[in-house]
Amino acid sequence: MKYLPLVWAGIWRKTSRAILMLLQIASAFLLFGLLQGLNSGIKQAISRTHSDRLYVGSSVSFGVPVPISLLPQIKAVPGVKYVTPLVQFPAIYQKQGQGIPMNGVDPEAFFGMFSDYVVTPKSAVETLRSSRTGVILGSIQAKRYKLKVGDRLILQSQVPRKDGTNAWAFDIVGIFDVPDQPNGANAAVVNFEYLNEARLADRDTSLLYIALAANPATAGAVGKAIDAKFANSTYETRTQSEGDLVSSQLQRIADIDLIVGGIIGAVFFALLLATGALMMQSIRERVPELAVLKTLGFSDRKVMGLILTEAVLFCVFSALVGLGLAAVILPAAKTFIGLTAMPAIVFVAGVGFAIALAVIGGSVPAWRGLRLQVAEALAGR
Amino acid sequence: MSFFKQTLALTATGLQGVAERRGSSLVTVIGVTAVVGVLVSLLAIREGTDIFSEKNARPDVVDVISRGATSTAQSVLTRDALSAVERAPGIKHAPDGRPYVVANTLVSVDVMKKDGKRGNVYLVGLTPGAALVQSNVKIIEGRQYRPALHEVTVSEPIRRMYSNMNIGDKLKLLNTEWTIVGVFAGNDSIGDSVMRADADTVMTAFSRNTYQSASVQLESRASMQTFKDALTSDPSVTLDVRTQAESMKNNFGQLTSLLDFVAYFVGTVMASGAIFGALNSLYASVDARRREIATLRAIGFNSGPIILSVLLEGMLLSLPGAFLGALVAWVLFNGNVVDVAGLIFKLTVTPKLLLISIVWALTIGLIGGSLPALRAARSPVATALRAT
Repeated sequence: MKYLPLVWAGIWRKTSRAILMLLQIASAFLLFGLLQGLNSGIKQAISRTHSDRLYVGSSVSFGVPVPISLLPQIKAVPGVKYVTPLVQFPAIYQKQGQGIPMNGVDPEAFFGMFSDYVVTPKSAVETLRSSRTGVILGSIQAKRYKLKVGDRLILQSQVPRKDGTNAWAFDIVGIFDVPDQPNGANAAVVNFEYLNEARLADRDTSLLYIALAANPATAGAVGKAIDAKFANSTYETRTQSEGDLVSSQLQRIADIDLIVGGIIGAVFFALLLATGALMMQSIRERVPELAVLKTLGFSDRKVMGLILTEAVLFCVFSALVGLGLAAVILPAAKTFIGLTAMPAIVFVAGVGFAIALAVIGGSVPAWRGLRLQVAEALAGR
Repeated sequence: MSFFKQTLALTATGLQGVAERRGSSLVTVIGVTAVVGVLVSLLAIREGTDIFSEKNARPDVVDVISRGATSTAQSVLTRDALSAVERAPGIKHAPDGRPYVVANTLVSVDVMKKDGKRGNVYLVGLTPGAALVQSNVKIIEGRQYRPALHEVTVSEPIRRMYSNMNIGDKLKLLNTEWTIVGVFAGNDSIGDSVMRADADTVMTAFSRNTYQSASVQLESRASMQTFKDALTSDPSVTLDVRTQAESMKNNFGQLTSLLDFVAYFVGTVMASGAIFGALNSLYASVDARRREIATLRAIGFNSGPIILSVLLEGMLLSLPGAFLGALVAWVLFNGNVVDVAGLIFKLTVTPKLLLISIVWALTIGLIGGSLPALRAARSPVATALRAT
């Protein structure tokens, strides 16, 4: 501890150089924090999913409609508590850019299995079940467009209706909120029956079914039992857990791990060389000073230790500046990934990388410090 | 001495110093290489998606979709609507009277990649008009699919990317076996990402009674308005007509702007890091020559050439990184076939990207040289001469 002032003085020996180096390291860790933060935010979202919710779709591909006749058969599989069909229609409210997705479901089963959705008033689910044109609207949309229970909601959908129009009229019977997932409350949950009867194409089919396993521990077996029931039938199914579904959808878009890894790799490689070279230069300039330390009785190891401590402190401090900046910026991406704070693991990993950077980059100069011959160094040779 | 000669002489001595400070110069080069390498690699994805951009659109081909649909995947086209399209004026007709109209229906199909991962491609069912409108699509191996027999053809990239996609292989969809009978190439841009089959056969197999959209080849570009007016004023159908360019922009505009954003955002953060590195390196270069520069100023060199020479040194130092970075990206990624959300395309490092690399590298060198240049030109001659 008593060497701290010495280490501190070493860091700021050349102020402008230290500041530039700090900024260089900080910008690398800013990028690391943002990319890795996004990546682990997505992973966290996947791990937060409910393993007892099973998504049953066509084995051809999710999105190929499955007939509604499958619904009672899935319900009959032992261990299944609730089943709901799910059709999703993209729709807009009033004008382009104001999108509200319409989710057509069996209201009772849907809100039964999405028990984390809070519906007000409580009776709304029952009302929606009995009314064809009811809608329970997500609180985000209700707030955004100042809509309340009792209002009429007219949505324009791309999905054409039998009558040739695109307008779908609903009465708002309730508002739902998703406290765990603030971005989840953005859809309009409506009655599957109504959408199904009015649409032009794909009548009596569902995009997929969501089934709730009575016991989360046996969800995997229940999923297999569902698929086994339809094996070799015309409509073979493929059942995925919520987490599998989300990760396979993401995988379909891009191999995020690979891209993030590649970028971070290139950044750190360049940074390692930069810090290494700069530390070499700094030590070279300080050879006489280090020699003085040795003359004063500092052991070889202590000099080496001082150099390494300086490197580690500096790199960790700079890394924290970058990571801190990333933590401030990252929540701005909330709307895309539902991340409210940078995961702690990213901080831990970042500090780990910073220490590794300092030790690897600083080892050659520290070795030189260790090998320093006092007489030669003082003579300036 | 002239301004030009002074600058030249100063730059030359500066560059001699580069060889002496090999370590820090190399760090600058590698720093710029990393920035450019990442930037070009990310932009290569975006360049690859250029095959989906408006510039590949055919001016005489228009798409007909249901009114309100924002993409062809969401469109619904009834058989009645298709007949209305075929009767509309302005359409090109073959000598035997067949209209240049092809309707399609899309089915998303999960398939396994050769690396074992699950991917997905579209099976596109096409009406016989495909032979007219898409005459550029040619079978390069095997033969064309025949209606009613559950036969499909696959694109060359699909055959390469996915397993079980060779001629003779079977594909089981909804308990129906489809046989791959041919490989096609050369077509409309997204055509490389699809399998093709007869529309009515696909619709029967997937219990559909509607198409999704139609492509129409017009007599000429001028007949666009006639065609559009006739269809949009027909009260029996609710359809929208879009040029192929508009369709492509609607379907892929968001993707390309997202890719652009990611590439330039990551590039900018990395470049700022490289700028700090270059600043350090050039400060060192200027510091090492403090006395030399002071002497030159004492004997009458102006500060203009001094500033310019440091800026030039910065730019010359970062320039190799532009070529190296672009080269690394080209070697690693150019021509790699990837699929994003079911679209297959090749990463492409174009000359345009090399130009972008050079501009970025020069900018990094210029900004990196600016502060050291000012320091060199400003430090008081007397103090600098006394420096050890």
